[in-house]
Amino acid sequence: MGDLRTEEFVVNMGPVHPSTHGVCRLMLTMNGEQIVDAEPVIGYLHRAIEKICENRTYPQCIPMMDRFEYVTAMSTNELFCLATERLAEVEVPERAEYIRVIMLELNRIASHLIFYGTTAMDCGALTPFLWGLRERELIIDLFEETCGQRLTYNYFRIGGVANDLPIDFVPKCRSALDVIEGKMSDYTGILNNNPIWLARLKGIGTAEADHALAWGVTGPVLRACGVAHDLRKDDPYSIYDRFDFEVPIAQEGDCYARYLVRLEEIRQSIKIVRQALDGLPEGETRTKIKANFKPPAGEIYTRIENSRGEMGIYIQSNGDKKPLRVKLRGGSYNQLQFLPEIVRGKGYLIADLVAIFATFDVILPEVDR
Amino acid sequence: MTKEELTAYVGGHFDGKLKLLDTGRYDPMFEIQPGDLLDVARALRDDSRLQFDYLCSMGGVDTGEHLEVVYSIASSKTKSRLDFKFSLPYDKAEIDSIQEVWPGINWYEREAWELYGINVRNHGNLKRFLLPDDWDQGHPMLKNWDAPDFIRMPER
Amino acid sequence: MERLELKHIFSWLHDLLVSTGLGEPWLSVVTYLMLGAMMFGALSVIALFLVWWERKISAHVQQRFGPMRNGWHGWYQTIMDAIKLLQKEDVRVTNRDKFVFFWAPVICFVAAFLAYIVIPFGDGLIVADFNIGILYIMAVTTFTIISLLMAGWGSNNKYALLGGMRSAAQMVSYEIPMVASILVVIVYSGSLSMVDIVESQSGMIFNWFIFKLPFGPIAFITYIIAATAEANRVPFDLPEAEHELVAGFNIEYSGMKFAMFFLAEFVNMFTVSAIAVTLFFGGWNGWLLPSWLWFLGKTLLVVLLLMLFRWSYPRLRVDQLMEFAWKFLVPLTFANLLVGAAFKYLGWYW
Repeated sequence: MGDLRTEEFVVNMGPVHPSTHGVCRLMLTMNGEQIVDAEPVIGYLHRAIEKICENRTYPQCIPMMDRFEYVTAMSTNELFCLATERLAEVEVPERAEYIRVIMLELNRIASHLIFYGTTAMDCGALTPFLWGLRERELIIDLFEETCGQRLTYNYFRIGGVANDLPIDFVPKCRSALDVIEGKMSDYTGILNNNPIWLARLKGIGTAEADHALAWGVTGPVLRACGVAHDLRKDDPYSIYDRFDFEVPIAQEGDCYARYLVRLEEIRQSIKIVRQALDGLPEGETRTKIKANFKPPAGEIYTRIENSRGEMGIYIQSNGDKKPLRVKLRGGSYNQLQFLPEIVRGKGYLIADLVAIFATFDVILPEVDR
Repeated sequence: MTKEELTAYVGGHFDGKLKLLDTGRYDPMFEIQPGDLLDVARALRDDSRLQFDYLCSMGGVDTGEHLEVVYSIASSKTKSRLDFKFSLPYDKAEIDSIQEVWPGINWYEREAWELYGINVRNHGNLKRFLLPDDWDQGHPMLKNWDAPDFIRMPER
Repeated sequence: MERLELKHIFSWLHDLLVSTGLGEPWLSVVTYLMLGAMMFGALSVIALFLVWWERKISAHVQQRFGPMRNGWHGWYQTIMDAIKLLQKEDVRVTNRDKFVFFWAPVICFVAAFLAYIVIPFGDGLIVADFNIGILYIMAVTTFTIISLLMAGWGSNNKYALLGGMRSAAQMVSYEIPMVASILVVIVYSGSLSMVDIVESQSGMIFNWFIFKLPFGPIAFITYIIAATAEANRVPFDLPEAEHELVAGFNIEYSGMKFAMFFLAEFVNMFTVSAIAVTLFFGGWNGWLLPSWLWFLGKTLLVVLLLMLFRWSYPRLRVDQLMEFAWKFLVPLTFANLLVGAAFKYLGWYW
């Protein structure tokens, strides 16, 4: 047995693998079934959105934003419109701001419901996936009624929203929120105290707050490490400073903490939407901008709180009708490059990596753009 | 710290290495010298009143006359935020890596190298990742870039 | 009405063939073959039914409808699926190990069906009452491990190989607590024969071993956990863990070969449930209704339990799976066996 030789071998996880949520390739260096190192290989979804935006007028860029992060396309709409409005100093009518907040928070709920479903599915429980999508359907139906689309909404406009809410939106939205809130106990009931679920998630993929911040990790992943960093509170955009909500945090920083933080965020979002529905004023929904819209020269970096962390956009304008430069920043981008830091040398198994990847809630269009 | 205080504080400290520009909207925008990059980054992170502990974004810009590199940083503790940038000529596009200050800049620097051809010193992992591994058609985000295999659809 | 027994079916077939003028020994050979075909057909129907049932149950757990198009609530959906799988192209990897790749599904399929020789479906409805019945089942179902290993190796695919190795490790580990919890029953029945085990539970409901044994429920629960692992079902479905190994050992299989693995899985599920009923729930014992109906009903209830497990639990990690088997189940079942044997020796039971 003296010359028994062992060696590390490389497993390609992806680009088409059921639990990489898109087309991400993880090159795993394995020692047996333990992961020694992981290297994400991205670019399979690169659509050159930034380059395309440079060749389009400002209003024409909004549909491109839908494709930037299609799980929460409302947020990307808001991101671009907000940045352009700040750049060109366009006022947004009161009613439009409320509608935007309603849409953003509904979209956050929908995104977290997908997270809930896919995480459970990646850990082998299929039922929560269908439950999560079932309630997401209610929200998507509301979006469809409002803007005619179910995934790429293209609803926000520079200076407001494309059209007013449909007539019976408010009661329908309230009943959808009631349904989702009622189902929350089902969600937690099937997983939270399940010993297998706890064994799969607790103590796995633990991240330290400083370490995560240095790598630019934001959003629920950072809040699960005990940092109450939420741009809706810290750098309020739109009208978020008018609403009463809490920023859920957890201290452990592991997969289970991230899961709990996201579930609690669903509750907080429901709270915000309810307040926004109560306060919804009458009035205009859109400030008309000139057909030949040219923001003054200048540059701006704008950030909003997406369900996957800080989502930012850098726009440089030279006074022309097309932006000189659009740089997009997604939360998943930093989280994916942080992933090897968490995995490296901890001796996790592939099953743990799947859980970590799922609770990071990485989606690839945001990474590749 | 309000935005005005922040602007005054940053402009007044750090040996005047950060000069306020008037192009910034909403958040202050400063200009630095490319050689000061590492010092400035370290100073901004370590300053007790600023504590810029994470990097939001970093990217190249091609203005048509020269290249620019823009860094957007923020603090999770003091909630403040600022941008700084510097210009580079096309023929000498080279910057220092500031991974030791904010390691999260790793992929952003890779991207600037890949899409703008900005060489990053001491990066250690300059590999293609958004473009195909065998990409040999230049740096597509440059304004004068033209794709050799770009075939226009025939007019009907 | 006369009681339904296998020997009546046999003599009926025999008489039918005598009228065609066939002489011995071909007469017996053909009769046995026909009987075998009947058994095979019945089990295939059960397996197809279980596939449909699983889909319906999963659908209702998840508040969907499941198959609805083919017949009433899609009752012949699985038959159509089987026909579709039969027609499909049999995709084969170039660098496979031809012999091993071909025979793996066959062995898996045959091993799954072999167990039914000694399962008593009803009073007299048993093909052969071996005096080592339960031992025989344990021996035969172990063939499944070999077939999964063969499938993993023959596919020449690392996911398949990992799946095959995992399943071998898992099934060998869970065999031990399974046998240990079965042994308690055997201590009390005093026989390995399936018919004897059932007959020693006749009479009232408290004679069922789950109530009669000193810690009957523990024996049953440990058995059902180990059996879930044996049948490769959630939460122990690691050999085919979709999100780690894509599909595990059967990743390279398609068409009918895949269908054989698939059906064998459901037949296995029925087997472990049938054993559970035989050992713990009095087998065919019941009142009023015919014995085979009692057996079938009880077995389907246990199958239902396994299905509900599947649709409500996440999957264990591979090391947690092993820890659970060796650090928890094995000591527990052995302690239970020891206590059971002691009670038997002291006569503290009814």
